[in-house]
Amino acid sequence: MKDKLTFYIERESSLHRVNPLTKLVMVFAFIILAFFGPGFWLPSLLVVLGIIPLSFLGRVQREYFRTAGRLLLPVVGFLFLMQSVFHPDVGDSRVLLQVWVLNVTVEGVRFAYLTASRIFVMVSAFILFLLTTHPSELMSDLTRRGLSGTFAYVITATLQIIPQMQAKASTIIDAQRSRGLDTDGSFRKRVGALLPLTGPLVFGSLVEVEERAIAIEARAFTSKLEKTSLREIPDTKLDKAARWFFLLLIVLAFGSKLWPS
Amino acid sequence: MAIVNLQDVTYKYPLTEEPAIRNIHLQVEEGEFVAIVGPNGAGKSTLCYTLSGFIPHFFKGELNGTVEIAGVETQKSSLDEWVLNVGLAFQNPFNQISGSKFTVYEEIAFGLENIGVPRGEMKARVEAAMAMTAISDLADRSPYSLSGGQQQRVALTSILVMEPKVLVLDEPTSQMDPIGTREVFQVIKEMSARGMTVILVEHKIEWIAEFADRVIALHNGEILLEGTPGEVLTSPLLPERGFGISRYTSVARTASGQGLWPGDRRLPITLQEAVDGFARDRK
Ligand SMILES: Nc1ncnc2c1ncn2[C@@H]1O[C@H](COP(=O)(O)OP(=O)(O)OP(=O)(O)O)[C@@H](O)[C@H]1O
Ligand SMILES: [Mg+2]
Repeated sequence: MKDKLTFYIERESSLHRVNPLTKLVMVFAFIILAFFGPGFWLPSLLVVLGIIPLSFLGRVQREYFRTAGRLLLPVVGFLFLMQSVFHPDVGDSRVLLQVWVLNVTVEGVRFAYLTASRIFVMVSAFILFLLTTHPSELMSDLTRRGLSGTFAYVITATLQIIPQMQAKASTIIDAQRSRGLDTDGSFRKRVGALLPLTGPLVFGSLVEVEERAIAIEARAFTSKLEKTSLREIPDTKLDKAARWFFLLLIVLAFGSKLWPS
Repeated sequence: MAIVNLQDVTYKYPLTEEPAIRNIHLQVEEGEFVAIVGPNGAGKSTLCYTLSGFIPHFFKGELNGTVEIAGVETQKSSLDEWVLNVGLAFQNPFNQISGSKFTVYEEIAFGLENIGVPRGEMKARVEAAMAMTAISDLADRSPYSLSGGQQQRVALTSILVMEPKVLVLDEPTSQMDPIGTREVFQVIKEMSARGMTVILVEHKIEWIAEFADRVIALHNGEILLEGTPGEVLTSPLLPERGFGISRYTSVARTASGQGLWPGDRRLPITLQEAVDGFARDRK
């Protein structure tokens, strides 16, 4: 089974040492600037002058380019094509080319590019965040700031549902196989064979909830004592200043929307 | 004074007529190793939950009598305080993983984070506990990527790191293969050797014979027999009441019926005892 559950890349870098909340605020600042900030080229500039240099700062540029290239570009590219082609031609823009009965207009292409670049900013800011922030660190930091421990638990536990399901499914498959169930062979046969797995997977989950609850209670999860954290989470003056700066950017971005010059 | 003290304990699950355990009297001395055996539905898990405070704090229902550990009574304590004295581990290792941690190291630290242990001490305790249960090499692995035996050792370590006074184990090896079983027993043995009070529910009779100071046979929610492993595990009452017994005991009993095992010799429990016992007559 895959041993890695997170995007996180353990590495020594200045970006890794930034407080998780600061990074989260930064991500939101990027997104809000991209969606609400002024100017057609702003989202593209954010990528070129913001996110990409930051990926170098975090020494995760290779992983960033790989994820963005494999995951994001195809999706965003597809979106761009669809939007260009299907943007309604209201007749006030130059037609670039015709696809079947649809006109691709300059206006359509501009609109598609803007949407695509905004989405690119949003997703790649999150990728950069996930690459350089350990989820446990984020949760510990937020808990320290007053987020409920139960809520944090639910979030991190949810992040692990897929590996849990995988691990359990493979146990069940092994068990069924050892009783002679054929899970190889043709696609139809395989789907048929997998159906009996859903029972134990779902029913098992219900029984599990109680045991899981007992197990975490046994480790004092509901203790009234103040929790501590295994991970040391940095939070410097610079972090605080940076958070205010990004908040200011967010306000300015909204402002530019409300009061168009 | 006994560290565990149960006086006339009877417990009924909600919405049930019959008590799952009744009139239980049990004293366990500090450092003692007590094993509990019993057929399915005998009330072994119920007794474990009672000892570990989940009855009455998690499972409602009706608890009578007094349950006292280290001088404190459950009814007068709360679960989050109780679990600091009594550690509980059970069958399914998978369900004992907190589900919110990414590495074994973090998983083991989970309980210490919950009770606010400072970071430096936390790390020292996690590392010491991992060394004790021989899982230091798993520290950076995901808890999901481990074998059953490894997962169960992680679960045990996660409890041990909390430094409970009493360890309650409900069939910790029932889902393990022989290798996993051996790994888990290694840990239990080590803990017991260090003076931990252990209460273990177990079906694998031969292991009990090797480790336990005392065995309690539970039947229909009541204590049927109590004594040394040699006395209890070879009692003719056990097979009559549907207990699983060691195959060596049952072979020797049959042999004894045919005069091949002297009637005055204690029946064997382990393979070694059987071999020794039968070999003696060959001379
Ligand atoms: N949550 C529950 N609600 C109601 N009745 C229960 C509950 N859990 C167990 N029981 C009943 O209590 C009795 C004792 O069950 P318990 O699980 O303690 O037995 P056990 O000795 O651990 O059995 P096993 O060997 O199957 O683990 C059984 O009759 C069982 O049906
Ligand atoms: Mg049980």
